[in-house]
Amino acid sequence: MKKLMQILMLSCRKASELIDKKSLIKLSWKENLQLNMHTAMCDGCKAYQKQSLVLDNILHKHVQSNDESQVTQLENPDLKNKIKSKL
Amino acid sequence: MQNVMDSTNLKNTVKCWVELYSDNLYSWALHKTSSKETAEDLVQETFMAAVQSFGKFEGKSNPKTWLFAILNNKINDHHRGNFRNPTINDNSFLQVFFDQHDNWKPEEAPKQWEDETGNLFDDAEFQKAFEYCLGKLPDGWFSAVQLKYLEEKNGELICQELGITPTNFWQILHRAKLQLRKCLEINWFKK
Repeated sequence: MKKLMQILMLSCRKASELIDKKSLIKLSWKENLQLNMHTAMCDGCKAYQKQSLVLDNILHKHVQSNDESQVTQLENPDLKNKIKSKL
Repeated sequence: MQNVMDSTNLKNTVKCWVELYSDNLYSWALHKTSSKETAEDLVQETFMAAVQSFGKFEGKSNPKTWLFAILNNKINDHHRGNFRNPTINDNSFLQVFFDQHDNWKPEEAPKQWEDETGNLFDDAEFQKAFEYCLGKLPDGWFSAVQLKYLEEKNGELICQELGITPTNFWQILHRAKLQLRKCLEINWFKK
């Protein structure tokens, strides 16, 4: 029984790895089981799991926003002059 | 004589484009790379490329659209190049978060955020904090994030293209997210 628990119990480091792995690659049934057992007992990793999904969502929106006009417009006169002098 | 005329013409046209669009291009490049120097280099390269392939332009499209297409290709190449040599053999990074038994250090354990809906993104102040935190990521990690969320391809496909192992890829994304999460907690959620 003790051995079985050792196989099934993950550290938080490993559990948080699996949480982020899951958003990229399908986990094996064993990994899923390990992760579910861990998050059922660990508040830190439970919170991490939720936040990992929030981050996915925000990152997706941020990176996909391809609207150039939404970006803060800056001026860079030095760059302008530098390029002109090189032409 | 004809050739000399053409090349002066071309240079004047491109100079005019620099005047008109370099700030737009720079702002975009900075948004996409989070690095002032990289953004400046990429915009410069964009105009050099425009001079060289001017023949392909032929006034068929809007110059601004054309320049942005060149720049976006360069930004993509930059992220791919950056990502080929990422640093991940860094146990000291993980030691910030985990104790000797690999469990969360008490002060690092994630606590519930007040707003977990993801509507946060509509908040301009949050976006500022978010971009600040993105900019703090090491180059290779930042590029990994861009590649993952930009193309929405599955992980394995990206890895094939980049010639890296999937393990490498998600390990980097994992570290990037650990760091982002912490940075947001300090700069946004604790306020």
